Amino acid sequence: MAAVLPPTQAPSKDDYAGDEINALVLDPGSYTTRAGFAGEDTPKSVTPTHYALSKSGEHIFGENAIHLPRGDVEIKNPFSSDGLVEDWDTAAKLWEYAITSRLTGARQTPPSKNGLNDDPVKDGEGDTAMVEDMEKMEDEEQSRTLEEYPLLMSEPGWNPVKAREKTIELAMEEWGVPAFFLAKTGQLAAYGNGKATALVVDVGHQNTSVTAVWEGMVLRKSIMHSNIASSFLSDQIRHMFTTQQVPLIPHYMVKTKQPVDAKVPSNATYTNFDTPPHASFRRLEEERVLTSFKESVVQAWPGPGRLDSNTDAVKMNPARPFEMPDGWNTVFGPERFKVAEGLFDTKSAYPDPSTNSTPPKSDDSIPSLMHRALNACDQDTKAPLLGNIVLTGAGSLIEKMPERLQTDLQALYPNPRVRVIANSSSVERKYGAWIGGSVLGSLGTFHQMWISKEEYAEFGAGIVERRCK
Amino acid sequence: MPPFREDQLFIIAPGSETTLCQLGLPESFAPARHRLPSRMFTAQQDGEYEPIKIRRKERPAQAPTAPVNGLATNGNLETDVEAAWEEDHVSEEGAIWPIRNGRIVDWQCFCALMTHVYNTVNPPFHTPIILIAEPVWTTKEHERITQFFFEKFKVPAFTMVDSAMAASYAYGVTTATVVDIGHGKADVTCITDSLLHDIGRSVAVPDCAGEAMTERLVKLLGSRDGFTRNVCEQLKKSSICEVLPPDVDLPTDESIPSTASANPAAAASTGADDVGPGQLKLSVPGELPRGPGPNTQVGEEKSLEENDGVLDIASIVTGGNMTEYLAKKEREKQERLAARQQKKGDAGQQAANKPARLQNNKRPRNTFVYEDYALHDAMKKAGMSAQSMVDMQSAMDEGPNKRQKTPEPQSAISDKPADSGLPDSTSPTTASGFRREIEVGLERFQAASGGITDRLADAIYRTIQSCSDSNRRSELWDCMIFVGNGGKVRGFKEALLETLQKKYIISPSSATIFTSELPSNLSTPMATGANTPLPQLPGQHHGQGVNPLLLAATTAQNPQLHPLSSSGLGQLNQSAVHFSHAQTPTSIKLTKIPEYFPEWKEVGYDEATFLGAQVAARVLFIADSAAAASGGGSKGYMSRTDYNESGPMGIHEVYL
Repeated sequence: MAAVLPPTQAPSKDDYAGDEINALVLDPGSYTTRAGFAGEDTPKSVTPTHYALSKSGEHIFGENAIHLPRGDVEIKNPFSSDGLVEDWDTAAKLWEYAITSRLTGARQTPPSKNGLNDDPVKDGEGDTAMVEDMEKMEDEEQSRTLEEYPLLMSEPGWNPVKAREKTIELAMEEWGVPAFFLAKTGQLAAYGNGKATALVVDVGHQNTSVTAVWEGMVLRKSIMHSNIASSFLSDQIRHMFTTQQVPLIPHYMVKTKQPVDAKVPSNATYTNFDTPPHASFRRLEEERVLTSFKESVVQAWPGPGRLDSNTDAVKMNPARPFEMPDGWNTVFGPERFKVAEGLFDTKSAYPDPSTNSTPPKSDDSIPSLMHRALNACDQDTKAPLLGNIVLTGAGSLIEKMPERLQTDLQALYPNPRVRVIANSSSVERKYGAWIGGSVLGSLGTFHQMWISKEEYAEFGAGIVERRCK
Repeated sequence: MPPFREDQLFIIAPGSETTLCQLGLPESFAPARHRLPSRMFTAQQDGEYEPIKIRRKERPAQAPTAPVNGLATNGNLETDVEAAWEEDHVSEEGAIWPIRNGRIVDWQCFCALMTHVYNTVNPPFHTPIILIAEPVWTTKEHERITQFFFEKFKVPAFTMVDSAMAASYAYGVTTATVVDIGHGKADVTCITDSLLHDIGRSVAVPDCAGEAMTERLVKLLGSRDGFTRNVCEQLKKSSICEVLPPDVDLPTDESIPSTASANPAAAASTGADDVGPGQLKLSVPGELPRGPGPNTQVGEEKSLEENDGVLDIASIVTGGNMTEYLAKKEREKQERLAARQQKKGDAGQQAANKPARLQNNKRPRNTFVYEDYALHDAMKKAGMSAQSMVDMQSAMDEGPNKRQKTPEPQSAISDKPADSGLPDSTSPTTASGFRREIEVGLERFQAASGGITDRLADAIYRTIQSCSDSNRRSELWDCMIFVGNGGKVRGFKEALLETLQKKYIISPSSATIFTSELPSNLSTPMATGANTPLPQLPGQHHGQGVNPLLLAATTAQNPQLHPLSSSGLGQLNQSAVHFSHAQTPTSIKLTKIPEYFPEWKEVGYDEATFLGAQVAARVLFIADSAAAASGGGSKGYMSRTDYNESGPMGIHEVYL
């Protein structure tokens, strides 16, 4: 399938094979890593990007492993706060895990070594020969897991050249993929929403990015990003909890709880650990509670106007109750709007009570990012882009966020028609970029875009700069 | 006319421990007809496997031997000493288990196992196969399995059904949280409207299933003589092993105050221990694993067995002291008989004032009978003749005797069959070796301790909370399905459910707000009726300045009642859907299984997955394909023609 054709020549009909599952799509994020086969609706493999690092230096991946309260592991993340890969070795292992664990089949441990068939008494002849055979088989197996499929990967728009080259090197040399392509998340999210021209607002975990896509091509100078994203919102909630004296106890610490009245100290029994888990583990588990809080309590003030100019209207909205894992509970009234307000108006964000770190810059808020991105585009592209604002990313699932962006943008651009497109299905919002990759990877016409092994061999890692614009 | 007949459907459900299979669907569905252990032994040649251990005879000179267990096949024993092999139906030494934690770890062996399964059932030529797929199998592996079945067995049609999906078929529900507790792992799956959620699914969660409980028992008891891994495994399967609900104290002497004296067994075995309430006392090694010890004779037994202490008979056998040991056992038997006769007088009196037997969970100690495979292996290795094995067996066997004396009080009320691991008490000399009796203390209630339940509970919580359909989460909490043989340990499912409820349920916080805030409103009822906790238009509420707490309380659990903001954003057509929802769970319930099939009801629904496969087989191959033939719907299986056209990838089209 990876036959390389000059772009002028149309591929033969056999090459179209549009709906066949034949390419892998990997969309690595700083919170989850999404992987799946092109042509499918949703990524089959969604792996947390956090991993556990044991004292002995072992990397343990996967949802099942990282949530165990163990004293001897630290929870880490291979991504930097800028949404770029920092620890390449781990990232490569993690991505391989994401693909092999649910899609292509893990490299198997030879039965002679997996500890389950330990046979203290060797049966005599034939044993050693068999082990060798097995190992030979294993080696083949291992290289085959990724050798079989072309790989389409996503990257953030601000990915530096070095990182891009590193990615193709990894795919080609370490994994031995037959063909490779690197696409920007903004572009893919636009495809995923069926748009060739769009202003993509992707609210992720560490970063929010705005990308203008014009007729399928990314307008590079329009790419803006800031760290006013989900993780920022989590911090806002933490600050709010601190000021309101809300105890944040994650689930793993609680054994049983008793119902208590609102704002009354909890009546729970706690789990005792011989070696308490690392602070990073606690933070990860707290994040789960915060996610639940975001899902059921937090709401963006839908506008019009900012939150602080509507304090009376806000009070009219019903407060929502939330119960902590240890049973402590209360209702959150205006606070549940206020924590999200920082995303749109950094001035009204909760200040960090513990440190005197610099408050977020005002032009980093999501509407400002959009404004800056649009200013970087040509004047005549603005109207079509404003009419096709695609909102994606798990961070955008905060209730009423599309409405808020709509009103804010409308206020900024009164003239052209502003339309925020936010898919109503949470799955499609969360995995917008992956879905776009799945669409792209299964297009017959995309086949001529792949960077094949031969091309890589000829031109080296630099080809990624030329081909993947 | 459907293309297949009901008696021609072949269902295979491979598992880490046991592979279930069945040919043909009976009128009323019954549990699987064949249960084969999921293991193979390496054959003489590389890459070939045998379903039964072939053991080389250690001392061929002793031949001809009587057939072991009546099944030995020692072919040309006379001609070649090298060829002196025999089949060993009991031992599992050196077995290869191709499926571990659901994952296929040894493909060659897995294929051999499937071939063995196929040959055992020996279906006629035109037999479609339905295979239950483990959730952990990957897309690529599905293709590989499909290819194997089509090319090896030339099946006319084939399909795979996910085990969680099959379980939901068995329960006849479309929305459920399926918790499949297996051997080495558990899977937690959310299904809404027959749609399986791959994202967020907890697949092959390790250390929270059957094997982990055995490990736990080994850890608790392993330091004591006699409690090998195998014994712990059997203890787990026995009816005295029980998981108590999280808040129930372990039974102690104090918990059986007056009956203790009346029950000689309990008194004798626990009298010496002063165990504080809820405090675990590990018994002194050597005291507990008394081989022969019918409850009523504990006093006499003790003196007999004290010099014996360690009952590692396997080592006695290998040490060559067997004849001595047998003689001693014989002597003991005589003495015991005498003692019993002597005791008969008091025994009658005792029986008269004996109270109702204590339930297992009230007794600090209880005994169970296990089969000593280690001994079997040791004897085999030592090249014992069949006759000496039988001798040993009769000397050792306390099975029937024991069963008579201590009928399990709960066995009558248990609707499950005697666990497979429990020796069949009706046949005194079973094929598989040596039944011995062992007494266990409070450890038997702690199989699921050490975080096993918590781990599983957390996996369940995590799975449901990451179900992308957030509005369905509370529904998912109300339709829990627990299946799998790993959860068969008595009380485990109940304890798991209770752990979930204790740990995760969101208390009706609205109620607390309600009671603390409501009175002030009630004392001054307003004419508008704004204090009525009924859904009303938000405008009215706002006008009257209703306590926001009250409104929150009434609407919190029903997100659809939240007042919609009236900001007049008419153009926002797509984003009107709310992503917010109330916190879950507010209740956790199990799904009831419809009890259509008496045979299934009898044995319990731990293997409901197989029942689901039967339902699916009928639906996919008979009902649906008939509909498809008459020109509507699509067929849910892959035919030979489909395979020829689309190759192994075609399985993804029909995979359920």
